[in-house]
Amino acid sequence: MVSHSDRPSNGALATVSRRVIEGALTAWAAVSLTFFALRLIAGDPVASLLSQGLASPDQVEGLRRSLGLDAPLIVQYLKFLGGIFRGDLGTSLYTGRPVSTVITEQLPATAQLALTGLGFALLIGLTLGVISAWKENTSLGQLAASTAGLATALPIAFTGILGLIMYRQLSGLMPILGYGTLRRLILPASLLGFASAGAIARVVQAGLKETMKGPYILAARARGIGYGFRLLWHALRPALPPVVSLMALEAAFLFAGTVVTETVFSRPGLGRLLVTSILQGDYPIAQGLVALAAIFYTTSHMLADILAFTIDPRLRRVT
Amino acid sequence: MKHRLAPLLIILSLIFISSATACSIGSKKPSTLIYGLTLAPSGIDPHLNASSELGIPLASVYDTLIFRDPKTGEFVPGLSESWSISPEGLVYTFYLRHDVTFHDGTPFNAQAVEANLDYVMNPDHHSQKARFMLGSFQDVEIIDDYTVALHLSEPFAPLLDSLSDVYLGMASPTALETWGPTEYQFHQVGTGPYRFDEYIPNDKITLSHNPDYAWAPSIYENSKAQIETIVFQFYQDPATRAIALESGEVDIIGEVPTHDASRFDVSTEFNLYPIPIPGQPMQFFFNTRRAPTDDVRVRLALMYAVNRPQAVKTIFDVFSPVAQSPFLASFFDLEPQEPFPPYDPDTASALLDEAGWKITGDDNLRSSNGVPLELLIVAPPWGSNPEMAQLIQADWEAIGARVTLEIAPGFGPLKEAQTKGDYHAIGINFFGTDPDILRSFYTSTGLYNWSGFEDPEIDQLLTQAAQIPIDLEARLQLYEQFSSRVRDEGLVLPIRNYVNLVAVNNQVEGLHFTAQGWYPILIDLQMAP
Repeated sequence: MVSHSDRPSNGALATVSRRVIEGALTAWAAVSLTFFALRLIAGDPVASLLSQGLASPDQVEGLRRSLGLDAPLIVQYLKFLGGIFRGDLGTSLYTGRPVSTVITEQLPATAQLALTGLGFALLIGLTLGVISAWKENTSLGQLAASTAGLATALPIAFTGILGLIMYRQLSGLMPILGYGTLRRLILPASLLGFASAGAIARVVQAGLKETMKGPYILAARARGIGYGFRLLWHALRPALPPVVSLMALEAAFLFAGTVVTETVFSRPGLGRLLVTSILQGDYPIAQGLVALAAIFYTTSHMLADILAFTIDPRLRRVT
Repeated sequence: MKHRLAPLLIILSLIFISSATACSIGSKKPSTLIYGLTLAPSGIDPHLNASSELGIPLASVYDTLIFRDPKTGEFVPGLSESWSISPEGLVYTFYLRHDVTFHDGTPFNAQAVEANLDYVMNPDHHSQKARFMLGSFQDVEIIDDYTVALHLSEPFAPLLDSLSDVYLGMASPTALETWGPTEYQFHQVGTGPYRFDEYIPNDKITLSHNPDYAWAPSIYENSKAQIETIVFQFYQDPATRAIALESGEVDIIGEVPTHDASRFDVSTEFNLYPIPIPGQPMQFFFNTRRAPTDDVRVRLALMYAVNRPQAVKTIFDVFSPVAQSPFLASFFDLEPQEPFPPYDPDTASALLDEAGWKITGDDNLRSSNGVPLELLIVAPPWGSNPEMAQLIQADWEAIGARVTLEIAPGFGPLKEAQTKGDYHAIGINFFGTDPDILRSFYTSTGLYNWSGFEDPEIDQLLTQAAQIPIDLEARLQLYEQFSSRVRDEGLVLPIRNYVNLVAVNNQVEGLHFTAQGWYPILIDLQMAP
């Protein structure tokens, strides 16, 4: 009865399990690369730890031994990998606190920023994309399209400072730096979202232009359904799967974006933690963060694929 | 009708954005002060961590056994009413106050002093600074409940200075015991004018006034804190510091960039405090182990070639003095007898000619026996070092050298570049109130002997100076001899004395700083009515 190509589960399952293996390999590669790259770039962590110039060379060696940093690199690496499998990310060189605790402390601030940023990215991206497709040949459409272009081109370090200055002028000296209230979240989140919105807008616009040519749109038109509704209901839905896939990429982009955003807006969070730990040579924290980021990145990609299957049945056949 | 949906969506989203941004204006209680810090430290337990930043809040949470007068450099009583030093400088006896209690109710006594020193010295705690500040300290002897003696293995002149710094502030033994080295930083308990309320990493530190404080040292003007709550927030990005102050986000902020500082300096709404930080100036060491800087004539020539006053003016405007000594505190200036070489490109050229580095072709490049004059500068990334290194690069190129500049992105990479050893000049400087830090930089076996110069005379001068605990004048003389030797051998190019530019809104009154320069005396702050 049921034709082979109509059975989604096999293909989907195969894709998912392949993705899981790929994801695990990617995560391992990222973690190993970080382990060795950090040691090349950031230099001797003991030197950074004792950078106040008062210790004697003997004391430096003593500290190195007691932190286990005198062991051969390959031993340190295997120990680190073993730790990850046991769910143990080690302890900070500076405070002796478990890396997992340090990361958990900073996670909510980044999650709040990134998720709100993602919301803004969708809101702004969809709006710009729809306008630029809908009003394609008017100045409004052009404006939307060029705003989307700007969003992609401008780095957050720039829009962040610009946003701060403009906001200060417009709002009459209201505090917006730091962390805590909703008011302090909106500006950084919207700028972070704006930076990701450009790509979404372009995908939406391109998708809409494509789907508007579909026969079902003509059919809808024939049924007397208005242009706006056709665009937003009949054409937008099939144009969405690429947006969902893109969101997974954007999730990674947003995490990278928080590094700058958190610094500019003086917010706590993982991005800032990463920068500080790299600069100070607090390897365990930097490694832990990258390991988590790699896992997060691959998981979000997998989820995006599965979501895309759900939204667009056609994809299930193409495995 | 249906095509109205899209505009509706847009309007709704605009309303959402504007309403969200326009909500409640923050109301700040009048007795709360917000203090802007810069880099968020990795850990803030002063006994274990080393950041200068942590002392800004914590110098008011802790009292020290003794304090140092910022103007005279004299030591004055703190938690210790008086003290004595044995003639050979091996035993320091402290007579403690009887009336002091920690914020958690634990009484302060000789046992508390012992617990603190044990905590700092415990090798498992990995103290990054405090432990080394104790130098040759060996053990504590409790003579009675309020008398304690510190025994040293050899004389160590900086000990009193160390004991007056926040890194050796007295913490409640109960809290140290309860929380241990990893969690104590979140639950700090001292005896100072402010209590430690809360620390959220990368976000803020909150202090509240200690109403029971009744043992203020003479360097404090007030006997009790005036402002109830002080919140410290981190502004890592220099570009946002001025914005934070001007938008009312903070009342005080340190390390303001020079171009913003000039604006605050002339403003009527804000005041600017340029605060000198004792210690080494911004400086570049010459590598004496590598040609051509192994030749003293080349080193001196390179010093004559740099227009230091102009470079300092370019980068730091009027706020920083040009450095004239390898170490400076208001009460400890180590100026050499003959000043460091002034800007004089002709003398520079003459010295290079004499050393055999001559301009032969028409490309204005010096060479000696066919080897071109090539130099590598390694600069740290912080405190305008990269900009300064660029100006030095230009000045050296002007006298016929080919100069490469390498910016190390952090301390680790800087150390790495130093270990590699192919630099000719490298930037590094530390802060501190006692010139004994110079031992690390200039003695043959010093950890930071980055000029690689090994000189028995310098070794002897610095070792001897570290062992004169009482006679300040005798110490100073040794250091002046040392300075002259450093200058004559051209070991270091001093650039500018460090100045912390602190900007304050003009409602804040009474701002002054401890001898260490970085730490504000919070007990004396008040808000204008």
